[in-house]
Amino acid sequence: MYPEKLEKHLLRVQKPGRYTGGELNSVVKDRDSVDISYAFCFPDTYEIGMSHLGMKIIYSLVNSRDDARCERVFAPDVDMEEILRSENIPLYALESGDAVKDFDIIGFTMQYELSYTNVLNMLDLSGLPVRSADRKGLTPLVIAGGTCVCNFEPMADFVDLTLLGDGEEVTMELIDLLKEYKKKGAGKEEFLKAAAQIPGVYVPSLYEVEYKEDGTIAAVTAKDGAPGKAVKRNVADLDKMFSPETFVVPFLETVFDRTTVEIFRGCIRGCRFCQAGFLSRPLREKSPAEVERECRAICDSTGYDEISLCSLSTSDYKGLETLLRSMLPWANENKINIALPSLRVDNFPQELMEQLTSVRRSGLTFAPEAGTQRLRDVINKNITEKEVLSTCAQAFSGGWTAVKLYFMIGLPTETPEDVEGIANLAQAVVDEFYHNENKPKGKSVNVSISVASFVPKPFTPFQWEAQDRPDTLIEKQNLLMQCVKSRKITVSRHVPHTSFLEGVFARGDRRLCDVVEYAWKNGCKFDSWEEHLKLDVWMQSFEKFGIDPFFYTARKRDFDEILPWDHLDFGVTKAFLKRENERAHEGLTTPPCREKCSACGAAKLNGGVCNELCKAVV
Amino acid sequence: MNSVRLWYKKSGLAVYTSHLDMNRCFTRAVRRAGIPLWYTEGFNPHPYLTFLLPLPLGTAGEREPLDIRTVEDISADEIKKRLNAVLPEGLEIVDVTEARDKANEIVSAAYEITACFESGEEAEKFAGAVTGIIGTGALEAEKRSKRGIKTVNLCEFILSFKAKADGNAAVIHTALLTGTQQNLNAGLLEETLEKAAEMSPETLTIVRKEIYKENNELFA
Repeated sequence: MYPEKLEKHLLRVQKPGRYTGGELNSVVKDRDSVDISYAFCFPDTYEIGMSHLGMKIIYSLVNSRDDARCERVFAPDVDMEEILRSENIPLYALESGDAVKDFDIIGFTMQYELSYTNVLNMLDLSGLPVRSADRKGLTPLVIAGGTCVCNFEPMADFVDLTLLGDGEEVTMELIDLLKEYKKKGAGKEEFLKAAAQIPGVYVPSLYEVEYKEDGTIAAVTAKDGAPGKAVKRNVADLDKMFSPETFVVPFLETVFDRTTVEIFRGCIRGCRFCQAGFLSRPLREKSPAEVERECRAICDSTGYDEISLCSLSTSDYKGLETLLRSMLPWANENKINIALPSLRVDNFPQELMEQLTSVRRSGLTFAPEAGTQRLRDVINKNITEKEVLSTCAQAFSGGWTAVKLYFMIGLPTETPEDVEGIANLAQAVVDEFYHNENKPKGKSVNVSISVASFVPKPFTPFQWEAQDRPDTLIEKQNLLMQCVKSRKITVSRHVPHTSFLEGVFARGDRRLCDVVEYAWKNGCKFDSWEEHLKLDVWMQSFEKFGIDPFFYTARKRDFDEILPWDHLDFGVTKAFLKRENERAHEGLTTPPCREKCSACGAAKLNGGVCNELCKAVV
Repeated sequence: MNSVRLWYKKSGLAVYTSHLDMNRCFTRAVRRAGIPLWYTEGFNPHPYLTFLLPLPLGTAGEREPLDIRTVEDISADEIKKRLNAVLPEGLEIVDVTEARDKANEIVSAAYEITACFESGEEAEKFAGAVTGIIGTGALEAEKRSKRGIKTVNLCEFILSFKAKADGNAAVIHTALLTGTQQNLNAGLLEETLEKAAEMSPETLTIVRKEIYKENNELFA
């Protein structure tokens, strides 16, 4: 429900359904009936946020407690923000319409770096000081979780604490602790010190960072009893973990208008550019029976007719065939489409494939990521041209005519031949179509290639690498365009400026907090939206604080440099990442976890594929 | 295969749901209710669901027709009961009937527009002003259609019009040409009246009350 004052303005904004609440399955609890109120904030618009699985999990999890309530908050679009500001309506949560500032916990999920200014804007719209130090009371406590918190140093001055790794257990423990401290009337500092003792909690204010003259870090010191290294949380058994059986069903069409069920966390592949893969190790699977139970329950309660089975690499799910054989009859009978993102079709049983596509036919996509085998070995992406072509041949015979290929440019050791290789691979797919005797008659082929710019990320073997400058990336994009000769190939490129900013914040340190605040004060928000990005304001903001942004992006780091995220522990060790970096430069691939353990360090987190391997050894 | 006409009421928060979103919303509701729908055949099968007279964003409806097709016999009462158990707040099935009249028989509809002001005097003034404006028989506005934007006299679309003050509210009862041939959005009429009267209400609700065929016969 929205605040009454807003009523007369609602029909003047785009998509008012974003701001009204009242969707099916939303949970409305009375404020006075609970001890802890949690405002789950997504720092982007409703349509994007409502597609996010993490929010659905935490929402159901917190609301499963009798002593707590969880409500949803999204970044208002520009037209709505204007109204909120001019009418003096503080940012509110969708279920009750209560002001966000009156919640006990304000939790942001951080999925991408370019949403940082939106966090400040949402705090400001709530009527709260953006800096942690200026919010004196115990509540509201401003916290953050999600991928970006593996290095949240550029936002360290704004949040009170972050949650590292899986949120299911640590969120519950944090709520318990806050409830206790709120009851005894404790202060914020006292609470933060205690919270830092919970595994998975990182309190940035309890770590002192000193810098060398060259701008690199001299030392990071923990104080007030905070652990020297804050360790991520890892849920060992996904079958026993809390999983939602119902989702809020939006009225509006969202980005992913379907239901999502996780099949596993972690990844055995070890692609060297992939941050998610390393952050979420070790691989832990849900049993097929549990996945099916969740799929059925969620479809029953939401009415969705599409399920996306979510993981980092669908084909690595051991129970995939068992699951599909058991679930497909039900899905087909109920006209439910099952989407298997990133499925490798080469070894997939043909009859299952036919059943999968019997409801609705979806597109064919591949992510070779690099154009040549040499570079694919460097990044440890084990997909060969032969595999791509043979799968395409199979698909063309089956009636497909469109193929999507995902690539990156700016990868370490990349040469002009590698960029050319992207065009060559796309051309080979086109040729494969025309050479195919069983191709659909009278139809033409469309190969669309999407080229992203590589951004080196923390906790990957490429965390020490230099990122290409925007002008270099544009040169490479232009080279690629010249190499594409066929009109059957369409190329979509990314703006290199957003990758540049993403790179600055991905590997940035605390000195960037001032920059983020200044840029936001000068109108930066929704930076990931091309139409909103104000690069000139960002450049002025860097200059204002004497910071060279290329120090963070274009500089290759030494292995012995203290990195801004070194005092966080996500399982994988620096020694392993270094080994992987060296192997990359030697062009050596590393086998997946199930083939051979590479001693990445995540085994200490317990569970999943590591145990599987240990048992095999015993 | 059976054609069934659902009559639904749209009110409260649901009025902020656009026509396209209503389609999605009802499709899911019918699935949740376990009503055996007939699916279109072809590459992308989807359930057959037709809104006979889509409501504009912001307008509520008392009794709006929506046709579905089922593949099994299922009683009207059962459909109504099952759907009302799963529909979100603001949407309610008020009746389930056979699909008697055709959509192209719709000619007009009755609307109730309630504009609330800060005082009874203002409401009085607004009711008086709009009655005067409509009385002149000329009220021009830009109307958007598939063929582009053109200026039309809205009065040519008005079959009846009565405005009176009730406390702080000005309440307008009006019948407007509605349907595939000629159609006037009650929201556009109200907006144009606001501009002409140079007054802006605090809150506004627009409700479609009834839908008619030729000769003021109720559409069924």
